[in-house]
This record gives sequence, structure tokens and C-alpha cells, in this order.
Amino acid sequence: MLDVAAAGKSPDDVRKPAAPGDVINVGMQEALPDPDPVASIYHRSLPHVYGYLLSRCGSASLAEDLAAETFMAAVAAARQPGAPEITVAWLVGVARHKLADHWRRSAREERNQAVAAQPAGAVDDPWDEWLDAEAAYAALRCLSPHQRAALTLRYLDGLPVAEVAEHLGRSVHATETLLARSRAALRLVYQEDGRHGR
Amino acid sequence: MAADPLDALWLPVVPVDTRPEFAAALLRRITAAGGTPAAGGTPAAGGTSAAPGTPAAEGRPRPAGNRDNPTVRYFVHDLDVAVAFYRQRLGFEEELRSAPGFAMLYGGGLRLLLSVSGLAGAGRPLPDGTVPAAGGSNRIALQVPDLTAAVRELREGGVRIRADVSQGVAVRQALIEDPSGNLVELYEPAAGYHERS
Repeated sequence: MLDVAAAGKSPDDVRKPAAPGDVINVGMQEALPDPDPVASIYHRSLPHVYGYLLSRCGSASLAEDLAAETFMAAVAAARQPGAPEITVAWLVGVARHKLADHWRRSAREERNQAVAAQPAGAVDDPWDEWLDAEAAYAALRCLSPHQRAALTLRYLDGLPVAEVAEHLGRSVHATETLLARSRAALRLVYQEDGRHGR
Repeated sequence: MAADPLDALWLPVVPVDTRPEFAAALLRRITAAGGTPAAGGTPAAGGTSAAPGTPAAEGRPRPAGNRDNPTVRYFVHDLDVAVAFYRQRLGFEEELRSAPGFAMLYGGGLRLLLSVSGLAGAGRPLPDGTVPAAGGSNRIALQVPDLTAAVRELREGGVRIRADVSQGVAVRQALIEDPSGNLVELYEPAAGYHERS
């Protein structure tokens, strides 16, 4: 990558190694306002938020977009009277909301095309004792946004069904049905991929 | 109840570093949007915050938005391809992207707006019917510390070089092309180089 951003400085300025804690000021015009509750944990929390999103959505640019939405939401939340304490765990929770919202949006956009992707009626769901997790993650990416959201929240995030339902804006009963269908769909792709040796 | 085989999919949150440009750009947005409460103290401290029910954001001084960055707009064919080019090849930072028609990037003290020809916003046809198009001979000029190395790296990366390194007046320069056919001039100061300091 070219060093355009550093143009105008002497080469000595450009390559100077940053001191620890200095990195945060890359490209900054002024020092951070310390009392800002979001900025003060920004550098500690950003890799967690980004790591959470990247491992679940599988796209660096989407993970960046959602991480940005997460932090901008945190800034807005921190301004409210009685604002929650901004912690890494809280930010990851916001990121989870943003990811679920993203999948809901994509599901709306894909509604018409996605119908064909639903496995027909039967919910047949015997899984082997041993699961090839990598193959299952890969299969997960082939599912519809609703299915992906449900399985990700339930299994990757380990949320109880009631919380999954809350994130998805569905009843517990509807969520159980969605989870059952999603498992069946996942198994279909998982087995199909397994047969073809991926 | 038997153990669920899918429980094996549980994935802890493993921190992953972002691109430094992304981290820096997002931090700028956070500090610009959040700032420090004018009355002192954090919003959570109570007392200095707005009364409950009043949007606390209102009435707070907002940081000035103008960073004195000269701004240029380029028209492009494909937003994602263009953003990737300026980020990966020329080291620009992405400030925001409003797909499918618009993106804002910063690099070398320049704010670069990218608009997709024919789409809503700046890309839509002018009142006289002209559709803004990519290309032409006007271009931005970016200073680089080592022009020879820069051009070599770009060429190896598959970037189209429209004019190889040549000696100009007090600069060495080269012309490259972005994926939409917009020119970008790169220059390195040589003996006799002058700009207002």
C-alpha cells in the first residue's frame, strides 16, 4: 500500500515506530477527550466487537460496517441520562443486535427469492454424535438470513431460546419452529457438502 | 435430555484486530459524535445531564465538522471496486459508505468523494441531461515519498499505469488509472520543488 497519507512528511517521520498507546492517535488531529466513556474503552473493545462480528458474518467489510454501527450506537446510548456502563460485554451485546438486524434486513430483501431455499415440510433432524464444526460453519453460510440468525444466536452465541426469540422479534414458539427448520436445512447442506468432499 | 450435537458450534468471542485505518477512522467518528459534555462530567454522572425525557444530545455544542480538507469528487462505475482500489492501492481511509451510490474517503490530506454515475445524488443526470461520467483528463495529484517504488508496487498489483515515471518541473511524476478510468497523478518532489509553506 502506498504511503499517500504520509505525503509531505519527511521519510523519517513516516516510519517512526509508535510507542505503546500511541497507536490510537494514528491520523488524529487532537488528543482524546478522556472522560468520553466510549472512546476510553475503544481500543480495548474494538477487537472483541470486530472478532465477534467477523467470526459470525464471515465478511470483513460487513463486520466493519456493523462494528461502526455498534460504536455509534454506544455513543448515542452513553449520552442518555442513566446511560448503561459501557463495557466490552455490553458492546458485544449491541453488536449482536446489529448483526440480527442485518440478517432481518437481508431476509426482507431476499424474501421473494428465498422461498425456494426452504426445505420442504419434513423436519428430520438426526445429527451424528460427532460434528465437524468447520464444515457446519461453512454450511451455515449457505442458509437463508433468518436461519443463519437463529442458529448463530442459539448455538454459536449459546443463547437460550427465549433470548433468541427476543433478538429475532418472534414468539418463543415461532423461534422453536424456525430453529427446527434451520437445523434441518443446515443438516441438508452439511451432508451434501460432506458427500462431495467439499 | 441428551446433549445437543450442535452445542459443539459454540464460538467464544476471539478478539481480532481491525485494519488500523478502519480503527482510526471510526475513532474519529466517535470523538466527533461524542465529544466531552460541555458542563463537565460524564453523562452518567447525573446532575449535569439533561432532565429525563429530554434528548440529551440536543442543545449540546457539536464539534465543527469542517476539517479544512479540500474535497474532490470522482465518478465511478462500481462503488465497492472503487473503494477497494483507493483503500488498498493508495492507502485511503474509508470514512463512510452509503451503498450503492456514495462513499467518502480520506487520504493525503484530501477528502475524496466517490459517486456512482447515473445513481441518485451527485450521480444523477444534470438538468440539461448530461450524466456525470468517470474519466477525462482532470485528476487528483498525490505526493508519495518514493515514486519509483510506488509505481512498481502498483504495476505489480495490476494497476493500469497510463504514463510511467517522467521528470517534470521540480517533480517526478506518473499517471495511473483507477478501475473506472479516472486518472490519478502521483508525484515526488525533486530539486527546485516549491509549494506554499
